[in-house]
Parts: sequence; structure tokens; C-alpha cells
Amino acid sequence: MEEFTINTKQQDNIDILYLNGFLDAHTSVELEQYFEKLLADNKYKIVVNFDKLSYISSAGLGVFMAFIETARNNSGDIKLCAMSEKIYNIFDMLGFPILFEIYKEEKSAIEKFS
Amino acid sequence: MVKRMSNPNKISFASSTKNLSLLRNFIEAKAIEFGFDESPISQIILSVDEACTNIIKHAHKYNDEEMIEVEIQTDKSQFKIIMKYKGNGFDPNNLNSPDMKDYFENFKIGGLGVPIMKKFMNKIEYVHKNSDYNYLTLIKSLQA
Repeated sequence: MEEFTINTKQQDNIDILYLNGFLDAHTSVELEQYFEKLLADNKYKIVVNFDKLSYISSAGLGVFMAFIETARNNSGDIKLCAMSEKIYNIFDMLGFPILFEIYKEEKSAIEKFS
Repeated sequence: MVKRMSNPNKISFASSTKNLSLLRNFIEAKAIEFGFDESPISQIILSVDEACTNIIKHAHKYNDEEMIEVEIQTDKSQFKIIMKYKGNGFDPNNLNSPDMKDYFENFKIGGLGVPIMKKFMNKIEYVHKNSDYNYLTLIKSLQA
């Protein structure tokens, strides 16, 4: 089975999630649980780095939709960065840049929180 | 459970999201064999993943005792993916794509599988026959 993993880092009170592998209806449960835990711990400033993500389906997109309102209502945000062209095209085709801030570089996403 | 059929263009697997990766690998191999470039291959893989995720979720309610059979049929210019499954079927052509402005303003979740399929595939066909089986066919043209 194709794998999906999440690595994390904290920097300046921001949680950075590094997604790796294949995010589909099966593996998105793991990401959903990770977001639930972050919000339960009152961590609302989140950057998601897509550099090592090879694949995303709409189940993966749904995870970001599920948590962005709570993050923003608590003075935080879920900012996305470092997407491959293939992954960005899916977000873009569905109009996600209307709601989500998407940056080419992680550094820019982090700076926007300051 | 996964069954490789005597027909190399056919695969049958238990209706579980665990099997989506296997399905994607099967579709990728067949799409490469057919001669598609990287971009349409990605579009086909995602569309079939979305279609089967909907079957697993809505028609089978995550009951992995149900099965999904996927068959590839090709001619010179078309690549067809036919998904055969039991349960409550539905025709994606009857579903209007969501208004994305409203979708984002109201933080909606789900319902994006069908818009993805419609955007990436040239044609979607749905047939319910033999009173038991549903046939969902996604078609991609070579030059599209």
C-alpha cells in the first residue's frame, strides 16, 4: 500500500506539518486526527508543507475545509505551501485559492503569521 | 481481498478505501500502456479514485464484503474505465456541480469528487441493469 506520513516541527509558535506520500480517502483520516489534536491543544497557527506529497484526492482537500474555519475563528490560519504543479492544479481548478493562502515557499507562509 | 482476473484488463477488489492505492496502480499501468502522457494519466487516476471512493462510501457504506470490479476497454482513440458494483447507484451526470463561491463562503465539505470527474474526463456514463448491478463508465479521449 502506498504510504502517507506526517512529520512536524514547531517554529515561533507555529506548527508546520510536512505531508509525505499519498493523501486519499484512506490516509486522510490520519491527517484529520492530527488536525483535531492540534485544535484541541489550542494550536491554531498551522503551515502545511506539500513538498513531499505525491498525490491528493478530494478526501484530502476536505480535511483542510473541515478545520480552517475553527483556526481562523481563533486568530489562526491554515496556510499551505510548497505544492508541486500537479497538486496545485487540483487546488486551483476547484477554486481553493479563494479561501486558502497558498505560498510557493514555506518561509513566506511562516512570515505571514508575524 | 483482491482478485486478478483472467482478463488482464480487469481487476476486482473488496470495497474498502484500503484498496484505493492498488486501484490507482492498476489504472496507471493501463493508462501508460495505452499511450497517455503524464498529465492525462494523473487526471484519470484521480477521477477513478473519486468514483470508487463514492461507491465505497455511498453505495456500500464502507461494507468491505461488497466488491467493485473495474475493467479497462480501449479502442484507437478512447480509454474507458468501467466500474461494476452492487448497491445504490447514482448517475453523476444528474448532480450539479456546487457553486464554489458559496462552497468556500460557507466552509462546505465533500461533494468535490463528481466535479473533478466531470472536469477531467470527456464523458461519464451510468447504467443500472439486471436489477442488481450498476455500471459507471469514465471515458477519456486520447487527443483531449
